[in-house]
Amino acid sequence: MTSRREGSPFAGLSTIALKEAADHMNSIRIHLVMVLVLLTAIGSVYAAIGQIKATVGEDQFLFLRLFTTAQQPLPSFVFFLGFLVPLVAIALGFDAINGEYNRRTLSRVLSQPIYRDALLTGKFMGGLLVIAICLLALWLLVTGLGMLLLGLPPSSEEITRGLAFLFASFVYAGVWLAVAMAFSTIVKSPATSALCALTAWLLFTVFWPMLAPLIAGAVAPVDPLDPLTAVHQIDVQQAIARISPNTLYGETTLALLNPATRSLGLLFTDQLSGALMGAPLPFSLSVALIWPQLAGMIAALLVLFTIAYVSFQRQEIRA
Amino acid sequence: MIPAGIRAPFSTPTTWIAAGLTAIGLASTVPQAHAQSAASAAAQSPTGLWLTTPYPEFSAQAGKNVSVPLKLANRGLPPQRVEFGVDGLPGGWKWEIDGGGKPVTAAIADPDGTVGLTLKLTPPEGDIGKGVNFAVSGKTSAEALKLPMAMTLTKTEPAKLTLEPKLPALRGTAKSAFDFQVDIKNDGQEDSTVNLLSKAPPGFQVTFKQGYGSQELTSLPLKAGESKTLSISVQPPDNAQAGQYPVAVAASGGGASADTRLLLDITGRPSVSLSGPQGRLSGDATAGQERTFTFTLSNSGSAPARDLKLSASPPAGWKVTFNPEKVDEIAPGGTSNVGVSMTPSNQAIAGDYMVSVRANGDGASDSANFRVTVRTSTLWGVTGLGVIGASALMLAFAVTRYGRR
Repeated sequence: MTSRREGSPFAGLSTIALKEAADHMNSIRIHLVMVLVLLTAIGSVYAAIGQIKATVGEDQFLFLRLFTTAQQPLPSFVFFLGFLVPLVAIALGFDAINGEYNRRTLSRVLSQPIYRDALLTGKFMGGLLVIAICLLALWLLVTGLGMLLLGLPPSSEEITRGLAFLFASFVYAGVWLAVAMAFSTIVKSPATSALCALTAWLLFTVFWPMLAPLIAGAVAPVDPLDPLTAVHQIDVQQAIARISPNTLYGETTLALLNPATRSLGLLFTDQLSGALMGAPLPFSLSVALIWPQLAGMIAALLVLFTIAYVSFQRQEIRA
Repeated sequence: MIPAGIRAPFSTPTTWIAAGLTAIGLASTVPQAHAQSAASAAAQSPTGLWLTTPYPEFSAQAGKNVSVPLKLANRGLPPQRVEFGVDGLPGGWKWEIDGGGKPVTAAIADPDGTVGLTLKLTPPEGDIGKGVNFAVSGKTSAEALKLPMAMTLTKTEPAKLTLEPKLPALRGTAKSAFDFQVDIKNDGQEDSTVNLLSKAPPGFQVTFKQGYGSQELTSLPLKAGESKTLSISVQPPDNAQAGQYPVAVAASGGGASADTRLLLDITGRPSVSLSGPQGRLSGDATAGQERTFTFTLSNSGSAPARDLKLSASPPAGWKVTFNPEKVDEIAPGGTSNVGVSMTPSNQAIAGDYMVSVRANGDGASDSANFRVTVRTSTLWGVTGLGVIGASALMLAFAVTRYGRR
């Protein structure tokens, strides 16, 4: 760049973020997706409460069970969230940039004293704000339903773990928002970018668990005479599966919402000798356990945003 | 029974055969009379009226009432009315004949019936060692019955109790039960109720039971001459020091008392307990790194604990060492600190593990389950931060490269 412009690159950031959030809050698209999420959430939590009332006598972490208990045919709240949060994020971000471009409003916005940095970051922040509000509302709704129907207040440990779960869900949604925005900057047509984002979503939530063993089998074949190759293959398979943010999110919620989880990988029996199974891990150790997953998601969010940023900054936007 | 009835022969012709038989019975000695009645068969059973008693000669304590059972028997005769009297008693004596709980002066014996009566005598004070001969007489319309009796007044013997333990000294530890078998005997002439007392060192519990019964006693009735076996159980306090402890047991009742001494020989016993740092049985350790916990061995027994070896059963791959490996002696009431260094396996997963720590000595041992919360290395945390930092650096580079357009 030969000419550096003056002033803060983030001037007008909050204006854009709030405007974007307000637009989302009023759009039919988000209303529909949120109604879908709310209905499934209420349904699964209501079923979970019924199941807890019927089967669980006493549990140290009753409120965490609200999130993880599933009753046929409804899956658990966590499963719904892992499945639908990407959909919300994609709905928020798939036409963030190319939509403006196609409506020919981009150059109008940028003719204001606002840098592209602020526009992209502001749109991302606006999306994150909407997601944060929705997730917080959802979390409060579930906790409130639990208090109302179970008649118990949550303990401080449960609240801490619940908030950590909320944060992990937020980061997970941020990853998918970054994916959608990256597509929206790279692809010119909103329909194509939506399809691209949905394809990525389907690939990682539905097909990736099937693909991981196949790839692992090809990369690290099992030698029947050497049992360690089987261990190696499982390690490779797990590493491949962890490319999917869905897997990372699943492991994170498992460790946070089920305090008895002590390891997420393959374990040998000698590691379990003398171990007290079922004893809950302290919160700090649970966080230490899922920190690599969480760090991976945060890093993925930053990388995807950087891709969107670089792509957007280098684009020709005059139409 | 000794026949003592005396009757005059009947003079009426209808009963002369019976009167004759009775006269023969009276003339002969007792075994002969039995033999005769057996020989004369059931048809010839004796007929007549008798006044008898089982104890015609007896002794009694001066100043106390005496009761003598009497019997008026009628065999084969019509109902006979008999009027009673007592002859030959010295002055100052009182007598009374009771029948059916009331004083009576006459009785009617039905055919083949027996009337039970009681002669009550009240001798005056004194007159010890003197023999008194008297006779109970019965008068019918036709004959006179006479029952001579002899009585000697004796001095009242003092009440006497004896207590005799079968095994007066027992040995055991402070935790064992000491059961003594003690015979108690009433050697006096009167029944009495005996109170049982004991005096033991403080903290010792003494309970009385009878024989193999389960009820605890404070007193028991003993008839004259009767003997019973008491089971006296002594429970020493758990912290009793080694030594000999006497327990005095006494019985008193009816103006007499007896006592005996039981001895408990308590041998000392060490009692070792193992406790974790500050009494807690849990601690933290990081995988692959040594952590030392200070365990405390204490001896709450009554003898020194010797040669206490320390050992542990840790999970696989763990290393546990002790400093010192062996404790030579802990005096009663004393404590000793042992440093236990635990190194969790490098492969240990985060969370709780159970490590069993034991101390084994001569006759005393204890074990403690120590719960170790393993923390895994923070290496992954740093790596995660590094990954986030790297991607943030990339973003920062992109901003400086393409920023502010």
